[in-house]
Amino acid sequence: MNLTPDNTVMFTLWGLPINATIFYTWFVMILLTGASMLITRNLRPDVPPNRWRTTLEVIVKGIQSQIAEIAPGPSRHLLYFAGTLFLFVAVSNLLLVVPGFEPPTSSLSTTTALAISVLIAVPLFGVSSRGLGGYLKTYLEPSFIMLPFNIISEFSRGISLAIRLYGNIMSGAVIAAILLTVAPFFFPVVMDVLGLLTGMIQAYIFAILATVYISSATAPPSQPEKDIL
Amino acid sequence: MSIDWMTVGAQIANFLVLVWLLKRFLYRPILDGIDAREAEITQRMTEAVDAKDGAEAITEEYHEKLQKLHVSQAEMSETIRKSAEDQRDTLLAEARNQMESERAGWQAHMDDEAHKYTARLQLAGADALLSLTRKALNDLADETLEDRIARNLARQLKPMAADLNAAAGDGALAIVVSHSALAQSVQDDLVAELEIMFPQVAVTFEVDEAQSPGIMLRIGGAQLAWTVDSYIDGLAASVDDRLGNGPRV
Repeated sequence: MNLTPDNTVMFTLWGLPINATIFYTWFVMILLTGASMLITRNLRPDVPPNRWRTTLEVIVKGIQSQIAEIAPGPSRHLLYFAGTLFLFVAVSNLLLVVPGFEPPTSSLSTTTALAISVLIAVPLFGVSSRGLGGYLKTYLEPSFIMLPFNIISEFSRGISLAIRLYGNIMSGAVIAAILLTVAPFFFPVVMDVLGLLTGMIQAYIFAILATVYISSATAPPSQPEKDIL
Repeated sequence: MSIDWMTVGAQIANFLVLVWLLKRFLYRPILDGIDAREAEITQRMTEAVDAKDGAEAITEEYHEKLQKLHVSQAEMSETIRKSAEDQRDTLLAEARNQMESERAGWQAHMDDEAHKYTARLQLAGADALLSLTRKALNDLADETLEDRIARNLARQLKPMAADLNAAAGDGALAIVVSHSALAQSVQDDLVAELEIMFPQVAVTFEVDEAQSPGIMLRIGGAQLAWTVDSYIDGLAASVDDRLGNGPRV
């Protein structure tokens, strides 16, 4: 039994093996981008919004309002980053119910990649907001003695993000697979429904935590950091 | 549980590409569309507020005009009412005057008719009285009315002799005018009587058919009438006196 889709090679492209994680990631990417292109292709002020466009507006505005509750000020770049994190993780987890689909988020490589992305994004957003000196100064707060702890804290955030998401999704998929073997008629359905809920919650938590980390790095010096989950 | 670092690198690249793709095809069009719609809504709200302000101003102006119109209408109604009252009074006065004038005309016409009727009545009465008197005198005494009037006049002259002398002055001719020719004996009696009162006066007799039956005596400036008309006039005056000077109808 494969605990990670990284070991499943789907095909080879120019001599490089394309495993299931990358393959299904591309699938999610094509799905999200294609749907967005289809819905927004006729998006003009003179065209009245249809139900699909309204749905997208609700999703985007919902993400924006969630970010606005955490971040100190409106930032489209933060929306692009955190919103993409949420949509990717959420769609990947929701597609768990599709037979044969292996969520990329059940791969530790994917969650690690996303955690690394957050780990890199935090200082980038911080530097762009406070400047390099202002951002580095945050590692010395409240005193220089806290520098190693702040550095450890920064990395532990990424690791906890990656492990939390991977553990939840992978365990859900593994439990569903085990139950499908033991009791193939009823329990897998219940577990899949539970997996959908868990997947959505994990996507929300992942995106919110990323937003909190970034907003704490971009918050003005006088403003205290918001509590994390 | 293992990490494939090649996959990690690929997933980081995939994630960054996905961020760019969604930014290009999802976030930016959706947010720009929302911003454009909000701007359009804001513009429409501003236009609506302006239109509402304009409408309120027009409504206020309309109310003011309506108020002025009501005041003007009240003033106009009052003016028209006064004018109508004046015109009514004028028409009533004219009608009253016209009615008064017509009533006066009608009264004058009635009075004239009454006078005419009285005159006709008098004439008819006089004719009847005259005819009856003539017939009675002729049948009973074989004498004419004029003769009898002349004899009576002769008897009436004596009490009035002094007055007649004073009124006659220096008149030398006495003219006796009758409706028809008097009998010779009557003429002689009358001449004899006049010569007693006016010895120096010559007496002549004339006939005037237009005169009322009776005798009229003229001496100088004096004139004495003893005719049926004078008798009737005297009779009418007596009747008027008895009726309290009322209308003689």
